[in-house]
Amino acid sequence: MHALIIDDSRAMRSILRRIVTQLGWETSEAANGREALDLLEHGLVPDLCLIDWNMPVMNGYDFVVEVRSDGQWRDVTLMMVTTESEHNRIVRALAAGAHEYVVKPFTPDAILDKLVLLGLTATGVPA
Amino acid sequence: MSSLLFESSRDDLEMLVGEVWSSHVDDRDGLEPAAPHPWSAEAGAATTPCWSGAVSVTGLWQALIAVDLAEPSAHALARGMLGLDEGEEPNRTDLGDAVGELANIVGGNVKSLMPGHHDLSLPVVANTLLEGATELLPQIVLDLAWRGEPVRVRVLALPPSSSHHDQFPEVSE
Repeated sequence: MHALIIDDSRAMRSILRRIVTQLGWETSEAANGREALDLLEHGLVPDLCLIDWNMPVMNGYDFVVEVRSDGQWRDVTLMMVTTESEHNRIVRALAAGAHEYVVKPFTPDAILDKLVLLGLTATGVPA
Repeated sequence: MSSLLFESSRDDLEMLVGEVWSSHVDDRDGLEPAAPHPWSAEAGAATTPCWSGAVSVTGLWQALIAVDLAEPSAHALARGMLGLDEGEEPNRTDLGDAVGELANIVGGNVKSLMPGHHDLSLPVVANTLLEGATELLPQIVLDLAWRGEPVRVRVLALPPSSSHHDQFPEVSE
């Protein structure tokens, strides 16, 4: 399994990387939505993207919209991991194609619970 | 002037900052309430080597949420968030990144306590105290300590303009 971690904070990418690597996942990282799109366009096929909302260059919401507008990435699971907790933002992200939404701060268990909910496991594939 | 919104949110903020700390910084040594630390002299110069991270909130409310950490705390914060070994020293980029993300998480959650739609800025970080615009009034200041070093969380805000006062009742000092 492969997770693409998209956050402009290296510290937050490190926190998320430690959580998913403990599950046996491989990871790639991008500091904004544009960098993440570049990785996808160059052939990276992650099982999961963990996406911050507020980032320079391209924010997480625009990244979700871009990914969902291209059918070749329809199997990629998208999970927002962000401080944005306004109800309308959550609805907007889910409507744009995000599968799940985690609000910072979070515990490793909160991420794990969402992965279980999504049917993603260290050895499995999206349900 | 203070507002009912922020008066009633002080406990929420204390709980939130504690949660941020235990989730992302240090799940063993928590934050403790502390006496106010003399962060700056009357002239405004920082008296304690420190790092400040801040985010701005714009919308009905105009606010600045800042987190101030003494230099040793900022180093320990960055080591914890980046997963560095005890002997590994974070560089200035690491320090700015960790302090900025801390401010981002705290500020984003403070924003969620404000009714209505607001936007959150990207964090600003400095290796000195960050001050808000003079029209922003202190709403909440949490004086804390972590491993014996001072940590402070400040919420400075300009409440909604008078046209919105009916929606957000206020009390005066």
